[in-house]
Amino acid sequence: MMPEKQAEAKPTAKYRSQLRIYVDIMSVIQRESNEAKPTRILYGANLSHDRLVKYLDELKTLGVIQETGTVDKVYSLTQKGIEFMNNFRRVESFASAFGFRI
Amino acid sequence: MEFIAFVIAIAIANQALRGYKLSKEKTLLYLNLSFVLIGAGLLVDGLSSLIVFFAGARRGFLYPFAIGYTINFLAQVIAYGLLVYAYIHQARSVGGSPALVAAVPLLFFERNAFTELILIFLLVYIATQTGINFSISKSTNSMLVFGAFLSLSMAHVFFLIFTLAPIFYPIAHIAQLCGFLLLLAMLLRVNRST
Repeated sequence: MMPEKQAEAKPTAKYRSQLRIYVDIMSVIQRESNEAKPTRILYGANLSHDRLVKYLDELKTLGVIQETGTVDKVYSLTQKGIEFMNNFRRVESFASAFGFRI
Repeated sequence: MEFIAFVIAIAIANQALRGYKLSKEKTLLYLNLSFVLIGAGLLVDGLSSLIVFFAGARRGFLYPFAIGYTINFLAQVIAYGLLVYAYIHQARSVGGSPALVAAVPLLFFERNAFTELILIFLLVYIATQTGINFSISKSTNSMLVFGAFLSLSMAHVFFLIFTLAPIFYPIAHIAQLCGFLLLLAMLLRVNRST
């Protein structure tokens, strides 16, 4: 796995798990009022173009995001994606209460 | 009181299991196993106390009480040991086997200073970790978890000193219940927040 820019800048920073990258991408989409262009996601989730394309494809296959744009590509969360994010936030909140990171 | 604590422990274990299924984060699996063991220990202890209370006390039949306490103690040692391991595992991100109980003692014992000191040692470690977490995050949920483990530590301190004055025995049970109620409050907050 290639290191992220952030990880390169901070040697002590841990690599992000695949789940964390999924969540970061989906969080950017949610932050952008559930309509985000690839460039926004790329910067927001701190990913290279190749990896962004790979992860977006995986998320589409999982059915948690969908491509909605006609001219420009725009991504939004599906109902399944919204439910996943709600569950993830609940789990994250629970784990962090004990001092555990996900 | 043990039965209320049992229900709360199982609810916490269930939430941790759901978290593990979603994230595959091992620390949540340890948390799940830990609270399953705590719940099981409390249930056995509660049931054995009930048996002694309703059937045995009049005839001096106190053996189930010792069995219940022994099972509860072993369950708690493994459970809190697992939690300590989870904190160490996360802090250092190293492999290795957790400090498991090497051999299960065949003797059944009643509440004593040595067993309580072991539990106090483990609980103080966990309370310190959750306290550090609270001092960093400053969140209400982490404060509730810190309060819970502090309360559980206090409960075992009271169990340790109840031989000096019997009044500490009910106080210990109340402190233990308070600990689990604080965990319940955290659980309700987590599930209400989204």
